[in-house]
Amino acid sequence: MLPISKIYKQIEVLTVQLIESSLCEAQNFPSLKSSSGNIEEISVSHNDYSIFLKNIPYSEMFRQLVETKTYNMKMIDGALISLSYRFKQKCLISSRLSFFPSPDLEAFQNEPDLYFDDELYSDIMDKRIVTVPIRFDYDANEKTQKPITHPISHLTLGQYKNCRIPVSAALTPYQFLMFILMNFYSNAYVKLNSKFTKFKNCFNSTIFDEERELLHMNTPIYRS
Amino acid sequence: MVKIITGTTNKPMASEQLKSYFHVHNELTGYLYIGYPIIGTVNGAYPIDALWVSPEKGLVIFNLIEGKDIADDYNDAQDDGANKVEAKLKGYKQLMQKRRLCVKIFVVTFAPAVTRIPDFDEDYPLCNESTLSTVIDKFSWDESEYYESLVSVIQAISTIRKGKKRRSIINPESRGAKLRALEDSIANLDNRQSRAVIETVEGVQRIRGLAGSGKTIVLALKAAYLHAQHPEWKIAVTFNTRSLKGQFRQLINTFYIEQTNEEPDWDNLQIIHAWGAPGGGERNGMYYTFCALNNIEYSDYMSARKKYGVSDPFGEICNKALSEAASIKQTYDAILIDEAQDFSPSFLLLCYEMLCHPKRLVYAYDELQNLRSQSLPSPEVIFGTSSDGTPRVNFNTTEEEKPQQDIILEKCYRNSRPALVTAHALGFGIYRDPPDGKESGLVQMFEHNSLWNDIGYEIAKGNLEDGKCVSLKRTNQSSPEFLEKHSKIDDLIVFKDFDNQNAQDTWVAEQIKYDLEHEELRPDDIIVINPNPLTTKKLVAPIRAKLYQYGIDSHTAGVDTAPDVFFANGNESVAFTGIYRAKGNEAAMVYVINAQSCYNSSFDMATIRNQLFTAITRSKAWIRVVGIGENMRGLIAEYQKVKDHNFTLDFKYPTKAQRDLMNIVNRDMSEAEKNRVSKSKGNLASLIEELENGQIYLEDLGRDQVARLRTLLQAKEE
Repeated sequence: MLPISKIYKQIEVLTVQLIESSLCEAQNFPSLKSSSGNIEEISVSHNDYSIFLKNIPYSEMFRQLVETKTYNMKMIDGALISLSYRFKQKCLISSRLSFFPSPDLEAFQNEPDLYFDDELYSDIMDKRIVTVPIRFDYDANEKTQKPITHPISHLTLGQYKNCRIPVSAALTPYQFLMFILMNFYSNAYVKLNSKFTKFKNCFNSTIFDEERELLHMNTPIYRS
Repeated sequence: MVKIITGTTNKPMASEQLKSYFHVHNELTGYLYIGYPIIGTVNGAYPIDALWVSPEKGLVIFNLIEGKDIADDYNDAQDDGANKVEAKLKGYKQLMQKRRLCVKIFVVTFAPAVTRIPDFDEDYPLCNESTLSTVIDKFSWDESEYYESLVSVIQAISTIRKGKKRRSIINPESRGAKLRALEDSIANLDNRQSRAVIETVEGVQRIRGLAGSGKTIVLALKAAYLHAQHPEWKIAVTFNTRSLKGQFRQLINTFYIEQTNEEPDWDNLQIIHAWGAPGGGERNGMYYTFCALNNIEYSDYMSARKKYGVSDPFGEICNKALSEAASIKQTYDAILIDEAQDFSPSFLLLCYEMLCHPKRLVYAYDELQNLRSQSLPSPEVIFGTSSDGTPRVNFNTTEEEKPQQDIILEKCYRNSRPALVTAHALGFGIYRDPPDGKESGLVQMFEHNSLWNDIGYEIAKGNLEDGKCVSLKRTNQSSPEFLEKHSKIDDLIVFKDFDNQNAQDTWVAEQIKYDLEHEELRPDDIIVINPNPLTTKKLVAPIRAKLYQYGIDSHTAGVDTAPDVFFANGNESVAFTGIYRAKGNEAAMVYVINAQSCYNSSFDMATIRNQLFTAITRSKAWIRVVGIGENMRGLIAEYQKVKDHNFTLDFKYPTKAQRDLMNIVNRDMSEAEKNRVSKSKGNLASLIEELENGQIYLEDLGRDQVARLRTLLQAKEE
């Protein structure tokens, strides 16, 4: 099993590299905390807003996250990336990895010309784009997990309440961040991917057999 | 002589009479305010018709009566007014002695239209023009040592503090301590600013001032003041930068509540963006409203850009809307435009056309946002001529007792004198070495030399005339001394060069660390500016990564960050920005990095020098200009000359012909234009070479072409 210290290290190293690559325009320091019951946790904020923010419109939630600085990285297009992991007795019990794109680009409206000529922005300035919030959640709690309707590791698109696309295992920070860069900042990724440290470790598979018969996602399997 | 400040009033006749009384009686002193102040009470707004403060008499409230009817309860109104003013003044400790207010308050009911004044109670004076003197003679005040405090209380208009930060200071010598003292000194409005707020013109009014002269706050308070006096008026406040909206709303709201104890009526007082979009409410805008009211096709940014290109799509669509409107619906009673330098004249005209008579348009702008030229043409040009050929708007020379139409806020509170002069000297290239074969190194110059006076310079030596030598300096009046006295000159401004990128980045990161750890600055007191917008994202990244490793948070201004969110209280993060996003922002400590890019260039000299000017003028207290290599050393040498000239501008004013040449050579060019010029230059060089060594002959080029070329060259020589 991957220890939490390695996860923390990945986040730290990749945050610096994302800043250096100029894709990340603001960031917060992750913290590693331990509490009673042998629980260890990585997150950026003292407060967990995930339940409080459940029933409010996306734009309002986004504003709240920006104001309270509840994110690991804020990308050049305003999108927020958050990574949190919780371990109990050295085992991963839950994680939440999210990518929340900005609902509106105020500065872009003020000075659009600034952004048209910069290739870093070419992915995100396309007029046809509809931004989609993306979340990878992992919950090893035996009470909530349920084959097919609540996969242990799942992908939620667009904040749809019952969208839980099964995923074969929990994602490491490296796997998640590269997935986001490759697909949503692809111009930058092509240019910069050699600069990122590669972390080739992974979490154990947790998918239920009956889920394998559905359309699902596999986390990376490394050959060496 | 009483100084008269004319606000807006519902009692114009009586006000005029009162003003002329004070104009005639020039033995009296002090300040007379018409239509000011408004006092917030438990029953809402309580407007005072007129108020006179004088060292001999104390404070005199005038209740004005327009017609011939004197209400029976005029004495109640006098009691009311006096009580309300007293209650307000008692809030100021500097006017109190223990529990006693040291200012004498008198009330007079002034009814100039009433010819026969009935007998009245001694306690409740009622008079017309002929009896006013007898009443005033009886007033006296023997504690005139409180006069200065009284004046500043009345002038301060508002107790609004502009986003003052809480600082916990331990070391009284630290930068943080100096900064706190600075912030305290600029908390109140000065005399000119408060006049600009109150004075209301029945027509067009223009407010000019450098960045940091308080234009936005004056405009916001003015809007609130007009709304408080005339809640039924339709008033619009408009601007270019969307994020200003929040700032305006907050300023107006706070001030309005302070003055009236009520919330503004946002239906009548609209804070709307210049452009606007469909969708109603928050998305509304001036141009959008104009189109909707007059049934004209609306264009959004994208379609306007497609149609008219990037240079000025908004100006073009405003022109188009104006030309298509058959008869324009006049909707507003007053419109206030901030950042007018960001608009083309056609937008100002569009606003003007939307106003009912008497066209109360107030526009504020920074003459110097762009060093090249006056940023807006004269009002005669902007607003055009009426059918008889006379200009629709022109600013008459101001008579003393009339509200000023053309206001200059000459005090710059943002930049210290040395920093501002340095920014101007480098921006204009005053001490730049002349390029080969040239007489002067100037990069750009104002078309009208009088502009130098308008922006707060005085002639120290010589003549401010075309072709003459002149030495210009800033005075205490235009650049308050306290802005530079807090630190030594070599700490106010530092220029420094490095051998390579990494050395520069390391130095900046370490300085920031020191500022935060030892100098009691807060992260949001610091901004780092990279002047070249194209390299910003790449070049700020390594410094930010270093800071992150020091455990210091930082961010760059991106597409969704609004400046006010950016510098929100409690934002524990150092801001990094390119030059465009830096516009309108300020910070105590400013680092300009990679400044070598602003020294020299074969194209766009004016553009890069403007970048440097903008970057330096973001600083409220300290400025660090750093860069790499030979060009940076050139820039340092240029700064050294500014310093050697004791922060004056010493130069020979270029002639008209020299200015024209400067403007062509240094004009802004797009990438495409630059490519075209380089290509043509190359072609021409090879053509000349081929002609010279006989590879081709002039005859090959065709007689017609050669003749045309000859005409062009001759025309230029003449």
